[in-house]
Amino acid sequence: MNRRKLIPASAVIAAASLLLSAAPAQAAEQGVTASSIKLGITVPMTGIASPGYNKIPGAMKAYFDYVNANGGVNGRKINLVVKDDQYIPTLAVAKANELILKDKVFALVGTLGTASNKAIARSAQLSARGIPALFVNTGFSGFADKKAYPTTFSLLPSYQMEAKVIGKYLDENFKGKKVGLIYQDDDFGLDALNGFKQAKIEFDIKIPYASGSQAVAGVAGTWITKLQAAKPDVVVLFGVSSATAAALGNAFAYKYAPQWILGSVGGDPVTLAANKVPPAFLAGAKGFSFAPSPADATDEYIKMFMDVNTTYNKGVTFDNNIVAGMTSAFLTVQAIKAAGPNLTRAGLIAAIEKSGATFANPSLTPFAYSATSHVGATGYWIGTYDATGSLKPDGGKYTVYTTDSGTGAVVTSTYKRPAMPAKGLPN
Amino acid sequence: MHKFKATNFSRFVGFVILGFFLVYLSNTVDELRVYQGATVAMYVIAISSIILLTGYSGQVSLGHGALLAVGGYGAALLRNNFNAPVWLCFVGAVLLAAVWGALLGVTAARLSGPYLAGTTLALAVGLPSIANQFKFLGGEQGLIFEIGLPPASLGEMFSLYKWFFWIAALTALISMWWLQNLLRSRYGRTWRAVRTQSVAAELAGISIARSKILAFTISAGLAGLAGALLSMTISTVSPGAFPLTLSFALATGAVLSGINTLGGVIIGAVTLVAIPDIADAIAHRIGASENVTTNLPGLMVSGLLIVTVLFIPNGPVEQHRARKARHHAVLTSTKK
Amino acid sequence: MFQIFNTFLNGITAGSIYALMGISIVLVWRSTRVVNFAQAGMALLSTYIGYEVIQQLGSYWLALPLAMISGALVAAFIELVFMRLLLKHSSQGAIAGIAPIIATLGLLGVIKSLIGFIWGNQDVSIESPLSNVGFSMGSQTLALSPMKLFILGAVSILLISLTFLFQKTNLGLALRASAYAPEISRLAGIRVDLVRTSGWALAGAAGGAAGMLQTANGNGALAPDSLEFSLLLAFGFIAAVIGGLDSLLGAVLGALLLGLVLAFVLTYVGGSLVFITAFILLLVVLIVRPAGIISQRAGRRA
Repeated sequence: MNRRKLIPASAVIAAASLLLSAAPAQAAEQGVTASSIKLGITVPMTGIASPGYNKIPGAMKAYFDYVNANGGVNGRKINLVVKDDQYIPTLAVAKANELILKDKVFALVGTLGTASNKAIARSAQLSARGIPALFVNTGFSGFADKKAYPTTFSLLPSYQMEAKVIGKYLDENFKGKKVGLIYQDDDFGLDALNGFKQAKIEFDIKIPYASGSQAVAGVAGTWITKLQAAKPDVVVLFGVSSATAAALGNAFAYKYAPQWILGSVGGDPVTLAANKVPPAFLAGAKGFSFAPSPADATDEYIKMFMDVNTTYNKGVTFDNNIVAGMTSAFLTVQAIKAAGPNLTRAGLIAAIEKSGATFANPSLTPFAYSATSHVGATGYWIGTYDATGSLKPDGGKYTVYTTDSGTGAVVTSTYKRPAMPAKGLPN
Repeated sequence: MHKFKATNFSRFVGFVILGFFLVYLSNTVDELRVYQGATVAMYVIAISSIILLTGYSGQVSLGHGALLAVGGYGAALLRNNFNAPVWLCFVGAVLLAAVWGALLGVTAARLSGPYLAGTTLALAVGLPSIANQFKFLGGEQGLIFEIGLPPASLGEMFSLYKWFFWIAALTALISMWWLQNLLRSRYGRTWRAVRTQSVAAELAGISIARSKILAFTISAGLAGLAGALLSMTISTVSPGAFPLTLSFALATGAVLSGINTLGGVIIGAVTLVAIPDIADAIAHRIGASENVTTNLPGLMVSGLLIVTVLFIPNGPVEQHRARKARHHAVLTSTKK
Repeated sequence: MFQIFNTFLNGITAGSIYALMGISIVLVWRSTRVVNFAQAGMALLSTYIGYEVIQQLGSYWLALPLAMISGALVAAFIELVFMRLLLKHSSQGAIAGIAPIIATLGLLGVIKSLIGFIWGNQDVSIESPLSNVGFSMGSQTLALSPMKLFILGAVSILLISLTFLFQKTNLGLALRASAYAPEISRLAGIRVDLVRTSGWALAGAAGGAAGMLQTANGNGALAPDSLEFSLLLAFGFIAAVIGGLDSLLGAVLGALLLGLVLAFVLTYVGGSLVFITAFILLLVVLIVRPAGIISQRAGRRA
């Protein structure tokens, strides 16, 4: 073939192959058939931030399998398509596009990571296409803003809320003492900084880390040497699990032991133990959660989740990540049920706004979904890690503090969680 | 056999026809394919930059991902800080990357082979992470790069992804036409001379250093353009969008295309985009485990690369021509 | 003051592991004139084999030499099957210069994918056999732990043995000669092909050691995409180039220099500048000495 005609010719061949793979125009509501609903999630299954979080999709699938085995939701079975985004925002965007364009999911659920979710919302044009992003696995306060993210619904209390609750704790117990902070240098960490500012906490030393750098040999060591030089009495670790593990592991090696406060994102003891943080080293640290402790088998939701885990997620250790995954799956089922048999994306969003605040709710704080706000849980209880590494609530019972992502005060909550629907299935 | 002599004009017409054909395609195929088409167009430009640098000028770069990053960040900064129109952002990306390419070329001209490979490798690893140090570069989550909605004159149903494809395809067509002209010109011949017979070239009065630096500059400019397009398709630019694997993928695409065959560039580009899809389909068809599904695309790309280098080292087009030439030589030698 | 000393220790330890990687790259270069990007992949594979040994037999001390041996075998196998084929087929055309580079890159990808097939992409863990807790000096803790001390010792022993091998033994002489002038070496009776394979085998062993030590030095997590191995690849290679690809000592010096500079930048400037510092260091060295710190001839071309 004449060389000069090569570019046009070969391009024509490539384009022809495109034609052959052309598909007809899409059906009206993507991802929904008479008997099934397809949902999608992107989460770090591998890579630097994956420890712990990579158990979440399995847990969600387990709960969906349980519901499917009991008739599904309004007669439809739920399928979950899982993609690995390695906690890299641009990869998350690519995977989200795959889920929407190729796998043709109905909605995204439980996607993990502040930066990833922001990137997905923007680059996959979620709002322009009306694609719901349900119960995103991040506490970034911005996602609750309906104007900015009309199709996104938060689940976790925001990092600002968490920082304010931590601030209250510091104010009551460590007034006048030196405080240190390790945080991730992106919107996740900045959100927390805002919260600390509102709680009027001044840190004597702040150590930001670029996401991913915690894996570089020696980096976490420098955090500890800096802390040792500044000598704070209390150190707040507000990073992902792998960063928290790196910090604690290095602190152990350097024999450095201030009072640790672990943010909820990186605070799951089972994940930390799997990353070489011995439970003994965790003992005495403070932790925060908004759901019942996974070790608390007296809680009806925990018990139900444990049973589902044993039956449908064999071999996987039950921990906070499983609870988190099953909680978002549970709520997703509630939302789909509330949207009724005529399931559309717009209908789903409207259903959560209308009745989300009254959904059956495993968490210990009320949800605040409304027509004007997409905020989920609103507070935390404070606990201490015991010698086995389990987080036990201070005072023996769950005292939940709720607040907002703004200037509102931190108040003790009087919320009583309604009873779980029978067998943990949608009613 | 009378060989069709393609004049410059007829080549130009060929490109225009191709352009219309692509427009027709974009209205017919699935949105996913249109979006992938935009990525293919981006890869066409990026791979061509490697073909220019390595295939024609003989300099190896394992770090072109860094130059794509420069282009992407340049475009985003222009857009966000100065609200520049999109075409100007692309021009800015090209210029900024070209400047970096020139600087890099000056250093590279003194190095060769593995030393150059090592330097470019270090650049690929190092450059994207600078974003974490300077706040205005947005850190790990990067900057937004939004080119806005398609103009109203195209109608309400005109999807953003089709708009991406049109922009990317048009840019690719123009760049390839320009590059093809360049490679057929005196410059192209100079580069080939320097690569194959550098001593003779020097004796003929060609400045080796100048030729190499020029190649690097132009290659970098193209890479920067591809980077801007990449950022456009994902509406972001961040360090994570330019990992080391991107640089390796470009080198792979260039080898698959034929390292000095510009005409084959579409092969490499389509392969890079198609393989993950094909691997996914295979993995699902055979009901593979999680481990296999995740790793099959990587295995296929790397395997394809190895097979190509071992058995079709100079690319399928070159191979075909060599075979034909041998065949022709046999034919003519048997004629008495 | 103390922090400076600790930073110095961190730098030396990290640098010594890069040195092992750099040595294996130099070994392959000196024996076959090929830059082997798959080196890190082979090191990764050897480390996984070491992990299996630990799983089955429970001992890191057994796993380390076995990883090195398996590294040697894997490398020899690759040289015998793969590289010979490559060098035969790709000595013409525009591809000639870069074919080995591209091919070894492809090999790297294949190895990583195969590791993912067999062991999965999740982290697996290798316990470090010695304590990672630093020695105490009064009220301060040194950045030197028993494990780090072992690493330094192991690298030193390996380096000394390899230098002795290269400089003082017949095999070493054969290795150097075969790389330099294969035809003449053949005429002198040296079995060039066998010698080449030995060079790769030695490199594989060094790589296996590097992988095992690097994993134990870090947090023990091992995964095909782990950052540690990408760094090992990049920094080992950079160290070798800084040192001048022809010199084992150069690779070690380059690696130590790299490790120190990076450690200081890390502590005093910030974690995110680490990678670009490596690049700048490389650039500075190559501008001043285009063929590395210890180069046989100024401005040597590959």
